[in-house]
Amino acid sequence: MSLPSDKGDAAGLSAADYDAFCRFLRERTGLSFTEAKRYFVDRRVSERMAAVGVDHFRQYLNLLRFQASGEELQLLVNRMTVNETYFFREMYQLDCLVNAALDEVVRGREPGSRVRIWSAGCATGEEPYSIAITLLERWSRVDEFEIELYASDIDSHVLERAQEGIYEERSLQAMPRDLVAKYFTRLDDQRWQIMEELRDSIDFSLVNIADPRQMANFRGMDVIFCRNLLIYFDDLGRREATSMFYDALSPCGFICLGHSESMSRMSSLFVPRRFPDAILYQKPQS
Amino acid sequence: MALVKARKNGEATPATAAEGGDPLTWLEDADPARRRRAAHALGERPDAVPALSARLAREEDPSVRETLLTALVRTGTAAAAAALVPHLASEDVGLRNGVIESLQQMPAAVVMPEVAPLLTAGDSDLRIFAAQLIGKLPHPDRLDLLAGVIDRDPHVNVCLSAVEALMESGDPAALPVVERLGARFPDDPFVTFSVDAARRLFSGA
Repeated sequence: MSLPSDKGDAAGLSAADYDAFCRFLRERTGLSFTEAKRYFVDRRVSERMAAVGVDHFRQYLNLLRFQASGEELQLLVNRMTVNETYFFREMYQLDCLVNAALDEVVRGREPGSRVRIWSAGCATGEEPYSIAITLLERWSRVDEFEIELYASDIDSHVLERAQEGIYEERSLQAMPRDLVAKYFTRLDDQRWQIMEELRDSIDFSLVNIADPRQMANFRGMDVIFCRNLLIYFDDLGRREATSMFYDALSPCGFICLGHSESMSRMSSLFVPRRFPDAILYQKPQS
Repeated sequence: MALVKARKNGEATPATAAEGGDPLTWLEDADPARRRRAAHALGERPDAVPALSARLAREEDPSVRETLLTALVRTGTAAAAAALVPHLASEDVGLRNGVIESLQQMPAAVVMPEVAPLLTAGDSDLRIFAAQLIGKLPHPDRLDLLAGVIDRDPHVNVCLSAVEALMESGDPAALPVVERLGARFPDDPFVTFSVDAARRLFSGA
């Protein structure tokens, strides 16, 4: 089987095949692709079909459905999700975190108690490491509490890269140079690695947020960052995901969405809170 | 350093599994969190539609209500659509809006047979909700049904809801239908305004 060129026709899934594939992917992962994404999907499916030496799409779909290890589905998902990000992206929400939200979260808590922050859809790790550095540098009460940082993604490859913590200059361009020097080790002309102490402080895990069993691991979160992840879900998938985030959050906990995402179009469970730096969404007290 | 290694729940199982038993039995639990977990677990079960619907009619906790609605949408069955439709007559605006949103997210093929009869309901508000909903359903009968409303409904506000839905469809075939409304209500300034707006929209002016 030959791969389609960038300018060529799509890989050749029939309308029924494409529909069957999208339904399957939606049910298993929550990822949702419309007809408009057909070329994107076709190309990635044909790449994987070529990689495993399968000529017929139905045969490949059966492999995805019935492979006991789930390995091929994972590899395909890795190709279907885009993981382009950089340090200190959408900094206004990190400003909001340290200027206002965390102070509210810990109000009334004893010194030494836990604060839990989760970066869902963390890709190659820029977001959780940015949160960690921002906390250490800018939250005045950081030493009073034991802060747990969780990071998860559905893509196993990017998680490995996140744990490795090696980045090129492009990822660090928005970061002040003194912080790069403080938290990274230069490996060569092109690459920097984040310090081991930070790498070890974050709990990275492979999580499909459409899977209630996996989501049950996450409870008592104070802040969830879920930025630019739900854009891959359809309306129902977004409702279900926000419902599971609701269960994962502590009362009065906050969820941070990407700048183009609005909770009002996904769920009425959360209360929008306008802070000087950003709008966050809060789980009500009861 | 203030960052400490996180401690997840390990091999946690969903609360629904951990609590055991049939989630149907704790759908009426006093604890809203337990009711929410029950509703979440029942989203895969068409047999739970009557219980979910019954609970929805009584539920006052917004988070549980949202989960009940999501569970009914998740089942995606005609029975679920039929269970949601009566709530369109609710006096509770939050519930009504949630139901409209939920019906929009269900398959058009199961929603349309439940909603289309509402176009002839005695309550004009119900007819308005039905027109709004039908306007958003990707169903082949949508334009004909809305055209029928515009040609026959005695209440101008219902007709205008259908006009709005038709205009959102962007189909130029809607223009003659909208223009007919101008003939039915020649003295209504808002109808005149809507017809002019439709002409501008469909002529690209």
